[in-house]
Amino acid sequence: MSWWDDALHRAIAEVVLAGALAGLIGVQVVVRRLSFFTMALTHATFPGVVAASLIGVNVFAGGIVAGAVVALGVAALSRRPGQNAAAATGVVLSAGFALGAGLIATQSGFSRDLSALLVGSILTVNNQDILITAAMLVAVAALLAVCARPLTFAGFDPGGARAAGLAVGAWDVVLLLTVEAVVVTIVPAVGTILAVALIVAPAAAARLWSARLPVITALAVAFAVASGLGGLYASYLWNVAAGASIALTATLLLAVSSLLARPLRGMAAA
Amino acid sequence: MILTVPFMARAMAELALLALICGPVGVFVFARRLSFVSDALTHTVFPGVVIGFLAGGVEGLVVGALVAGLLTAVVLTLLTRSGALSDDASTAVVLTAMFSIGVVLVSRESSYTSDLTSFLFGRLLTVTPRQIVETAVLAAVILAMLAIAARPLLFRTFDPAAAAAAGYRLFWLDLWLNVIVALVVVAAVRAVGTILVVALLIIPAAAARLITARLAAMAVIGTVLILLAGYGGLWISWTASVDHGIALTSASAVVLLLVAAYLLLLPLRRFLPTRGRSLSRGATPPTRKDSPHELVG
Repeated sequence: MSWWDDALHRAIAEVVLAGALAGLIGVQVVVRRLSFFTMALTHATFPGVVAASLIGVNVFAGGIVAGAVVALGVAALSRRPGQNAAAATGVVLSAGFALGAGLIATQSGFSRDLSALLVGSILTVNNQDILITAAMLVAVAALLAVCARPLTFAGFDPGGARAAGLAVGAWDVVLLLTVEAVVVTIVPAVGTILAVALIVAPAAAARLWSARLPVITALAVAFAVASGLGGLYASYLWNVAAGASIALTATLLLAVSSLLARPLRGMAAA
Repeated sequence: MILTVPFMARAMAELALLALICGPVGVFVFARRLSFVSDALTHTVFPGVVIGFLAGGVEGLVVGALVAGLLTAVVLTLLTRSGALSDDASTAVVLTAMFSIGVVLVSRESSYTSDLTSFLFGRLLTVTPRQIVETAVLAAVILAMLAIAARPLLFRTFDPAAAAAAGYRLFWLDLWLNVIVALVVVAAVRAVGTILVVALLIIPAAAARLITARLAAMAVIGTVLILLAGYGGLWISWTASVDHGIALTSASAVVLLLVAAYLLLLPLRRFLPTRGRSLSRGATPPTRKDSPHELVG
């Protein structure tokens, strides 16, 4: 029996990879305030996944296509006069979720699929899920490393970036699509709620410790992986749902950071 | 007429009550950009529902949801005012943490998938007269709270600096509005499910904003849209399952009709005259410039 045959070992591998991926993109999500967008993506890619499995194409491709539609839809809707991005995101979120839920309700046995979507089923990931997550981790890390400079410039000083000849709108779309690809990759394994928790909480905790992007990124990845492993251990120890205990561990890390970061940084500065 | 069937009439009565409160409250959710907060509240009442059920059975559900909703409103207001984290990050963290507590509690019990499903979709067609009474009481409370504070809330929405200068405590106004949204979620979530509550709070006001910039008109149009979509959705899901054998959940049908209304109204805006006093200048509160990214504020 190889190491991979054990469900817990596969879960450990997936949680480390997904944590690293979530930590990487989480920094972008937190500093550019895309949390609600991420939440909307986790719900709105749902009909794409359902439709893909109904017509028998790859569910991953279905999620990617639906997510791209959502990302571009939010970007287009929020540019209309009088409409704000929060409302546009909310409309897209409810529309996507209702559509997916409506589609899935026409099939039998849907309650199991739905709760797996919400809280994930990290103990049942297969080798293909792990491979996809690993490939996506390499791709996203490469993309963020290569495009770090224009993404940061366009994010923090859009006016200056535009004056310097950067296509700010295009870079925004690149970022949104990257977030979307990450969400689509990790949601099937870890569920919507845990995906949001793993993306936002470790990066928000890391942000409290530093103001330098490379430091924040390294810390966010470390926090996300640590909360993944810690949560998995807690779930094993007390026999509770794995996804939920990972999300709670990430929250705990954030709470501890918010208590400790300010005094400790003050001491370091003094 | 589908409303002659008693359970359909009860579902419509519940939807009509929700239309009354979600129309006006939705206007504030839209103007104050509380979409994410309302989405978060629909998830955070979940642990309250679970604890309430474990402690007091069916009787405990509303109390548990009420406690969890009010707790969320307070925590969110405190976190937003303290400014250590950005609003959206703190909302996301509170949402995932509280929902996870609910899932942990439920996963200790046996059949948690069916509970989660009914939580998502509600049981619109099995609304009991008791639930309608509960919703009606909460609706009266919500409308009274909104009527008391409508003017200061509007002041705070469109000119926070002037409201603060005029002596209003912004913290208490923000808390007041968050509590109102929490009460709407509590009133609605058990009967209609989380998906429908979020949709009722966000879509009607956003759609109404496409036709008018007047807040009172937005509230009325929102209410009318919910009534129409509610009746239409019930009718469609009834027809689909009775005449065509397709299991279409009524909550999904109502949401999809609301979205369809929004999409139909989108092109309309172009043909309307923009008036000098129109809110296209002021409908969105002045954005704080500390946000590096305005795409999702």
